[in-house]
Amino acid sequence: MSRKQTPLRPYFEKMPEIGKPLREGEVRRSQANVELIREQEEIIARELERVKNAGIPAEKVHSRGGMTIYDRLDYLVDEGTWCPLHSLYNPANNEEGCTGVVNGIGKIEGKWAVIIGFDNKVMAGAWIAGQSENILMVTDMAKRLNVPLVWLTNCSGVKLMEQETVYAGRRSSGAPFYRHADLNHLGIPILNGIYGTNPAGGGYQGISPTILLAHEGANIAVGGAGIVGGMNPKGYIDEEAARALIEGTRNFKGKVPGRVETHFDQTAYFREVHDTEQGVLDGIKDYMRKMPAYDPTVFRVAEPAAPKLPVEDLNLILPANQKRPYDAIQILARLTDNSEFMEYRPDYGREVFTGIAKIDGFPVAFIGNRQGIFPGYPDYAEGAYPGVGGKHYREGLIKQGEFVTLCGRDNLPIIWLQDTTGIDVGDLAEEAELLALGQSLVYSIEQTELSMMCVVLRKGTAAAHYIMCGPQANNNNAFTLGTPLTEIYVMHGETAAAASYARRLVKEEDAGNDLAPTLEKMNRMIQDYQEKSRPAYCAISGFVDEIVSLPELRRYIQAFTGANYQNPKSITPIHQMLLPRIIRG
Amino acid sequence: MAELIAPIAGNVWKILVAEGDKVELDDEMIILEALKMETPIYCDEGGTVTAIKVKEGDAVNEGDVLAVID
Repeated sequence: MSRKQTPLRPYFEKMPEIGKPLREGEVRRSQANVELIREQEEIIARELERVKNAGIPAEKVHSRGGMTIYDRLDYLVDEGTWCPLHSLYNPANNEEGCTGVVNGIGKIEGKWAVIIGFDNKVMAGAWIAGQSENILMVTDMAKRLNVPLVWLTNCSGVKLMEQETVYAGRRSSGAPFYRHADLNHLGIPILNGIYGTNPAGGGYQGISPTILLAHEGANIAVGGAGIVGGMNPKGYIDEEAARALIEGTRNFKGKVPGRVETHFDQTAYFREVHDTEQGVLDGIKDYMRKMPAYDPTVFRVAEPAAPKLPVEDLNLILPANQKRPYDAIQILARLTDNSEFMEYRPDYGREVFTGIAKIDGFPVAFIGNRQGIFPGYPDYAEGAYPGVGGKHYREGLIKQGEFVTLCGRDNLPIIWLQDTTGIDVGDLAEEAELLALGQSLVYSIEQTELSMMCVVLRKGTAAAHYIMCGPQANNNNAFTLGTPLTEIYVMHGETAAAASYARRLVKEEDAGNDLAPTLEKMNRMIQDYQEKSRPAYCAISGFVDEIVSLPELRRYIQAFTGANYQNPKSITPIHQMLLPRIIRG
Repeated sequence: MAELIAPIAGNVWKILVAEGDKVELDDEMIILEALKMETPIYCDEGGTVTAIKVKEGDAVNEGDVLAVID
């Protein structure tokens, strides 16, 4: 009789349970909190609807017998697996209200992929401002997670009226072609379903991936056929030139170059041509079945299990009032398999928790801020002040640095749960080496080859937002999520106003002047900070990759974890892992 | 009889109950303010508030009795 088991069973099969069910009174008194969260969710939902309706109406595309990008994604992606990212991203505040591409992580035929497509309702998928940055974030993600990148290309090329916003520069719309080359070089396949007319930039967008599948009406070309006037020697357009242009356009009989009869029948760039839009997507599904992926059981340390405590509780636990503390372990208990967590050094660096958990049976690491007040801590303050949750002190920084280093050794993807107000400041903090220890944590993250995911639960503030693997960790951070309670700023608005105007107030008072004009400026600054740190602003500006409701967090964590273990570049044999042994002692 | 104890030193920010009020387990009774944070103090045991020992703005030390519930 053969016998089978998961590896290192004594450590992983049953880990310590964390968290406790909410009592009736806790649920009762948190109803107002749920309402405050719902208000923010409604704002985000309205913004999402606005983006989804950008450009021409979906009905117009349907009436032509076409599919919108949303229809295509709906057909392509396995049900229940789509995790959209960058939905509201629009850093240049385009008149279109979006960057013209739709992307995220999802499963196709049971395998994780990073998926992106042009929104064909928005100027037929034109290059518009901010779009290339969105695409670069996506190509970075495919590289970080080492999973296929799937493109749904439908790109009319540069929005010519605003070419200066997209064409030139290091990170402009040409940069994705180099990123595609980089992904190919690294062995990360790019599947490309091509629709519509794709001239010039659209042509390179079409040709640069690994596998090209085309709709029968699609074309890709160095340039389009629409340039009929050529150079005008006058340097301007007068009525005579306009008449010539009208005549030329009326008489133009040429076909669009780069059609299927060229790039399937002659050059054979296209592997497949399909007479329906769905056919192209079916072709991508076929290729996804051929993509490299380990069976999950190769890396699982236990059977997948839902958290024992319900994710819906998160809206009751995380206070909308940013000044309120909460039990961070109660949050964690709603995210991990079986609500289990093996904590690393719980008695050291109390302001943060670090440890191992399971997500869908895969081992992962979690790091997060604890909240509340810690009397008698940090040691170096010698009672001058107590520790406050959300801040970082010497022990917590050392603990995070060594934990990250050990995770690198054990190849454990890390999920950061940020709710941080900063690193301790003052002479005592400087003597305790916090400046160097903060940067030391940055060094620890950078020297690993790990994928990390960051969730800014509430506050992402000061350098602490950076050192806890915020999006600035370009080489490790796969993506960063915000929640309906996220606020990201260098410091609180009131603190910033005091720092900016305190001396002015002294001067005005000494001069016997009215303080009101300065106070008005201070309050305007506070208001400005509030408006520019709210969840929707964070998403539009790219401070986070998506705002996700609290109960949805686990689904994104599952996507991140599953993608990481689909085809890892580096493997630590589970039975050779060090961290579980260190934790047990 | 149960005493509501200050878990930390701070200032009394808000008192949400009055003497004679009926309270239930987990009701929010008093909010302390310290280090720019609000620390709510919840009822450990249901009953009637028989005494409130502090007023808003008072400074309290860790371990001070804030209220009594019978």
